[in-house]
Amino acid sequence: MRRALPVLVVTVVAVVLLAGFDTEPPVTLNPNSALRPIATPRAIERPSATPAPPGSKTGTGPVVATPFSVIQVRATLTDGRLTGVETIALSGDGPHTEALNARAEPILREEALRAGSADIDVVSGATSTSESWIESLRAAIRAARRG
Amino acid sequence: MGMPVTVSGVDADAAAIVFAWLRRVDGLFSTYRPDSEVCRLDRGELAVGDADPLVREVLERCERLRIETGGYFDARASGRLDPSGLVKGWAVDRAAALLEARGARRFCVSAGGDLVVRGGPWRVGVRHPRRRRRLAAALTVSDAAVATSGAYERGQHVLDPHTRRPARGARSVTVVGPDLGTADAYATAAFAMGAAGPAWTAGFDGYEAMTVIGVRVLSTPGFARLCGGSVSAGLRPSPAWRSPTRAGCPA
Repeated sequence: MRRALPVLVVTVVAVVLLAGFDTEPPVTLNPNSALRPIATPRAIERPSATPAPPGSKTGTGPVVATPFSVIQVRATLTDGRLTGVETIALSGDGPHTEALNARAEPILREEALRAGSADIDVVSGATSTSESWIESLRAAIRAARRG
Repeated sequence: MGMPVTVSGVDADAAAIVFAWLRRVDGLFSTYRPDSEVCRLDRGELAVGDADPLVREVLERCERLRIETGGYFDARASGRLDPSGLVKGWAVDRAAALLEARGARRFCVSAGGDLVVRGGPWRVGVRHPRRRRRLAAALTVSDAAVATSGAYERGQHVLDPHTRRPARGARSVTVVGPDLGTADAYATAAFAMGAAGPAWTAGFDGYEAMTVIGVRVLSTPGFARLCGGSVSAGLRPSPAWRSPTRAGCPA
């Protein structure tokens, strides 16, 4: 019986994994495109993934549509200072992600991220995220202060 | 446009022409100026047919992008007219054309880290998404546009609404190609797609991309070639990049 128990556990895990496996192939109009119509925005009402420390207040910004996604920002203030920011993506990732990545894997090159320097003329790279995100964050902070 | 714009490789008169052009763009397209054409269109005080030809050009291109992306790119996604997602790259492309018309052959126009270079070769560094004074890649390009979308703020998490867990989203996406408006839109789209972004970039035609996800870099073969074989091929392990010399002033 002592040996049977781990076997039983492994079997149960395997059955659960199989049950969760999506056998339907993903359907996209263009196999190379991960673009999908924008999902209907819906506000997410749920407790924060990490419980807020005592004495902190949480506020949620308005749903903001960017050209490519709909987002919402939640800010946490502790003693009046910003201690946490979460961006809740209301549209974006979907169930086709894994299949698309499997398809692209032989095409894309993968290497480890390195930090270095070089003699360069100019730098590409945003210095901040989109104005929409900042706008939503400001509103979230205001909401947290009120709450 | 609320971002630093730098022009290098041209004289002060040519740079002044670029900044005058950008001020004109701001006057037409600003969503913060109630008297801009975009705001008047949004309030229904101006008909599209009566708008400036430049405004009509951008709105038509927005509409083509909306159709191309199955409704994903939508200048009216927020419920209000906001073509800003295209305007910056488009305006810089047009600025480069103005300088070329004046006879400039080797120059760079950069708006908030999205840039156009003419002539070359130019060495373009890609900012490391977590270490501000370091580079993640160094490209060698001529006559090209480079756009990067990224989230650099610490503590930001993109949650997957299906799993309620942080999505394995990208830290930054860099796209290089002939047109900055398109490169910028592609970089933003791929960034917003999170983990699905790299696969989408593999299908680009005429554009190359690199995506930083966690501690991994996924790049198209063409992007790796522009870096010398791999994205980190042109990098030295020294502590910080030397700040490049720039000419110009904030717009």
